[in-house]
Amino acid sequence: MTIVEYFSFLPYGKYAFYVWSAYGIAFITVATLFIRARSNHKQTLINLNSKYSRQDD
Amino acid sequence: MWKWIQRQASPKVFYQTCTKLTPWFLLPFIVLGAIGLYWALVVSPADYQQGDGYRIIYIHVPSAIMSMTVYGVMAIAGGIGLIWQIKMAEVVAKVSAPIGAAFTIIALATGAIWGKPMWGTWWVWDARLTSELILLFLYLAYMSLNNAFDNPRTAAKASSILAIVGLVNLPIIHYSVKWWNTLHQGYTVGTGGLKDPDMGIALGIMFLVFVLLYAALVTIKAKTEVLTREQNSRWVKDLVTGERS
Repeated sequence: MTIVEYFSFLPYGKYAFYVWSAYGIAFITVATLFIRARSNHKQTLINLNSKYSRQDD
Repeated sequence: MWKWIQRQASPKVFYQTCTKLTPWFLLPFIVLGAIGLYWALVVSPADYQQGDGYRIIYIHVPSAIMSMTVYGVMAIAGGIGLIWQIKMAEVVAKVSAPIGAAFTIIALATGAIWGKPMWGTWWVWDARLTSELILLFLYLAYMSLNNAFDNPRTAAKASSILAIVGLVNLPIIHYSVKWWNTLHQGYTVGTGGLKDPDMGIALGIMFLVFVLLYAALVTIKAKTEVLTREQNSRWVKDLVTGERS
């Protein structure tokens, strides 16, 4: 049994593997972009916060 | 309007504008994303030749168009930064690069996945595919060059020149299917390739979703970049310590 046949129980039958893996890759890439953008922003705020705290001490 | 644009040259005003705009891009992105996916995966009928395999185009075509559009925005913003020395234009150019690279990766990956059942191969060294791959290399080169300098202004100048030179690749990507005999199909949009109106609606919504995604990510990433660049300014200190208290 090939991987394409294995995933054929999903909607779109013989194209299921291709369609869902394409949408999956797009979703993972977009999610990574958002998570990285958010975490970088939070980390920058934390770093600046500790920098200003050191300056005030 | 012109006055509003001019005011965005101030890092503080630009930061505030990004803060205000983020939810206006993010919420429609989520709502339209759900509608677009429903239209693309459920409402649109199967293609008479490609069956359900054609549904990949709903992410492939918008991501491919956006990969070129974002590069254009990046090069224009870089050019504005070079000519008029506007730091916020440099910020927009810098934060656009990883987003554009991600769109290019999505376009290449989904194109390869579509190619396997339709062409019988994941990849061919055809003009459209190769020029899109060169676009990814241009994005990577831009990001590497931008990170190679300690001074952000010097980094922006060097990488902007690279971005402007790389603009020559955009018409090559666009017209490659006309100029050369390629395996890649001709234009999908505006040529009557989408026979059912629901296909056009789904593609239109998904394109809008990708535009909103880019806008939302630019505003979030630009805020971080402005904070980093302006960390010695009084307003940044007040903003950060204000959030702390």
